[in-house]
Amino acid sequence: MSDTPTTVVAIRSRLSLPQLHWGLVLMFLLIGSLGFYIVYPLILILINSFNVATIADPPVYGLQAWRDAFNEPGIWQSLWNSIKIGVILQVIALPLGIFISWLLARTNIFFAAGFELFFWVSFMMPTIATTFGWMLLLDPNTGLVNTSIRQIPLLRNLSFDIYSFWGIIWAHLVSNGISTQVMLMTPAFRRMDSSLEEASRMSGASTWKTMLRITVPMMTPIIIVVLLLSVIRIFSSFEIELLLGVPWGFYVYSTKIVDLARQEPPLVNQAAALGSIILLFLAAFIPLQRRLITRRQFTTVTGQFKPKIIDLGVWRYPATLFVGLIVFLLGVVPILSVLGGSFMTRFGFFHLPKTWTLEYWKMALSDPRLAMALENTLIVAVIAALVGAFLFSLIAYVIVRTKLPGRAWLDSICWLPSAIPGVLSGLGLLWLFLGTAVFRPFYGTIFLLVIAYILGGVTLSTQILKANFVQLGSELEEASRMSGAGFWRTYFGIVLPLMAQTIVMIGVIKFMFAAQHASSIILLATSETRTLILLALDQVASGHREVASITVVFIMTLTLGVALIARSFGLKVGIRAE
Amino acid sequence: MGFLRIQDLSKRFGKVLAVDGLNLEIREGEFFTLLGPSGCGKTTTLRMVGGLERPDAGEIYLGERCLVSHAQGVFVKPERRDMGMVFQSYALWPHMTVFENVSYPLKLRRVKGPVVRERTRAALELVGLGGLEERPATALSGGQQQRVALARALVFSPRILLLDEPLSNLDARLREEMRRELKALQRRVGVTVLFVTHDQMEALSLSDRIGIMNRGRLEQVGAPEEVYYRPATPFARDFLGKVFALTGKIVAADDDGFDVELKDLAAPPVCVRASRPVLENTWTTGKEVMVAIRPEQITLSCSVADGKRNVLAVTLQASQFLGDRYEYTVAVGSESRVLTTPASQPLKPGQKIYLELDPEAITLWPMG
Repeated sequence: MSDTPTTVVAIRSRLSLPQLHWGLVLMFLLIGSLGFYIVYPLILILINSFNVATIADPPVYGLQAWRDAFNEPGIWQSLWNSIKIGVILQVIALPLGIFISWLLARTNIFFAAGFELFFWVSFMMPTIATTFGWMLLLDPNTGLVNTSIRQIPLLRNLSFDIYSFWGIIWAHLVSNGISTQVMLMTPAFRRMDSSLEEASRMSGASTWKTMLRITVPMMTPIIIVVLLLSVIRIFSSFEIELLLGVPWGFYVYSTKIVDLARQEPPLVNQAAALGSIILLFLAAFIPLQRRLITRRQFTTVTGQFKPKIIDLGVWRYPATLFVGLIVFLLGVVPILSVLGGSFMTRFGFFHLPKTWTLEYWKMALSDPRLAMALENTLIVAVIAALVGAFLFSLIAYVIVRTKLPGRAWLDSICWLPSAIPGVLSGLGLLWLFLGTAVFRPFYGTIFLLVIAYILGGVTLSTQILKANFVQLGSELEEASRMSGAGFWRTYFGIVLPLMAQTIVMIGVIKFMFAAQHASSIILLATSETRTLILLALDQVASGHREVASITVVFIMTLTLGVALIARSFGLKVGIRAE
Repeated sequence: MGFLRIQDLSKRFGKVLAVDGLNLEIREGEFFTLLGPSGCGKTTTLRMVGGLERPDAGEIYLGERCLVSHAQGVFVKPERRDMGMVFQSYALWPHMTVFENVSYPLKLRRVKGPVVRERTRAALELVGLGGLEERPATALSGGQQQRVALARALVFSPRILLLDEPLSNLDARLREEMRRELKALQRRVGVTVLFVTHDQMEALSLSDRIGIMNRGRLEQVGAPEEVYYRPATPFARDFLGKVFALTGKIVAADDDGFDVELKDLAAPPVCVRASRPVLENTWTTGKEVMVAIRPEQITLSCSVADGKRNVLAVTLQASQFLGDRYEYTVAVGSESRVLTTPASQPLKPGQKIYLELDPEAITLWPMG
């Protein structure tokens, strides 16, 4: 009777051994799958540059592809062209980017916040939209700008041909060349303690001198990072050169690879040799890029943050006008031009009896090819977004939070795609799927495109997620583990909900990436799996501009539209230099 | 006439009137401090003197030269004012060495190379940093960075030195040390200093004169002792130090002062004598007043001679030993008050003690 009933709480004790075992399995799966899809295709490119047989045949090893590659002047020319574009672009874009960032962040120009939004819009806008919009304006014969200039008596012979080297440079500048730098540098300029500038003013330096001798030198670390990132990206650019260079036989590295691989018969081995050259070159850059991004920037930020800005005096007006003009060229003109193109009987021909028409929209909307491309795009982008968000959050979590062996390897693999141009990873996947008998049935399915797009943003996604996990603090998870939840329970119950916003953001980024990038899938898609961007490229190539502009409108809606919606929900979609 | 003259200076940030019609004259060679709580407008005033903010109204003159005048549309840019400034964060440029930081103002003034080297070295010697020229500026300790900033502000012999809370980022011990050095340095160089701080100790110990600011206005300007012992406004009284305050009613007034009967004390009513404040001639018998005195001007004793005036008998409730002094909690009427005295006589709780208030140290304030 006097017994007090004692409750025995049975605690399910887990042995540590099986847990470690499962952790190892998870790590093995992650490294295995990423290694298979990221590292192996690149190795295949290297191997097959020594293969002289075509892609689906049994390999015959030899040096013929390399010999051909070295003898064919077009290959060296394309490499040189890539470098030339990259260098000249930076020579123009970097000073402009620095100057605009300084104006936006440090001075009292009007509408700074609005302008910044437009640079963001320009950054988010698909390259094809900007390029195509400007094509409609700067076509040597029919471009609206050129035809307008011809109306002016003295300037009759003046015209700017976008299908030229400088046309390509222009398209780079207005698409991402300037906006990327402004996006990266403006926050850094803004975080600088303004008393550093004020101290210079008090020492006797003018606004301008202070900018040149204090502000910009202080920003050197971030400027170097931006510059090096841009250099590494030289070989990634694709859409602009495809649209503006190929029509007049001007090839850069990425378009040359696609050209070689698409010839009849395909010269995939030469493409592989060309790819190998760049792979070896970039191999040196990947560790550098990794160091640049992970290294902490030096102390431009002090605790005494003062958002004090510089009074430009009368220069305020020309400066506002200048940034306004840039914003207009970058963000407004291409959108208007693309929209105009889709509603005009013939773009730029305002004097036609029937200037405006809905005919093309009716045509396009009833065109099964557009519907199919839209469907493909949505399927690919949604799957890439969902799988990517989940997979990368898991990878980042494993790297940051667990003590599993092999984390360093996993981290390294995630850095690899950062410098690999889309065309190369596409080429690698092509070898993987066509060159391996087991996988051949997958060729021609949407599965390939999904894989290519998921891999496209590995580095960026894992970096963002890792930073967020580090910030989150491990106590919240440890509390869950102490309460008795296992790894997966903690991951799904605590980690994912806490990280929901970031993970959604990764999904949005993946979605937009998939909706607008052509280079990584152009070698993998067939006419059945063609996405909107490939459809648009084909339509432009065959001269159906008005119809193409409608496809571009769809791409813009899927990228810019989604980005704007995400932004209105408070998601900081974009890039930041931290 | 003042060396630096500020007339009717106003500055508004949005809806907030940061500086509200400020008038001030600073003499040449003087160490002048603007003292006030954060947000009182002192830093804004300093920044307007330096040219880092534009006033919405008013004028500033340095000597005969008009630096800014809203009415005349004059605004001299900061780089043309020839003023040295030390910032709260020191604002040393991390991409430059100590030498480059300090010599920067000279190079901007196109001083010749050898002279630059010599004067930079001299400025660094002055602040006790000789030999550190080639170090990166940010590789120094907080105190050293502070000295570099000071050297940079002094190297071109500015007409006036502006200091914006330069000691607030240092730890307590270093702050005391720098405070002494700053004062010695100013004496040696003889430069006019406009100093901004929220720390009364700094203001009292460093300044020739102090301007106490509150809500964008100057409450009182005067020598440290004057503002401390004869505060002109309730704000100045409460901000500058602890106050031992009692309430009472004037029972007699003559040319030299007032007799005040204290309220809330045990019967029989206690009467204290207070010297007549300069300004208040209109007070008459019956007026309710607050009797204020700095706690350290109260003399504590265990016994008192009969008939002595200005003595309060109180009961000691608790005492705490704080090393260099004792802190006593005493019951004055129904309230508890805290007093500190130099550590001399340990007193026991429950003991009756006497507080003697110096009539000259008492200030009277209108109630409400």
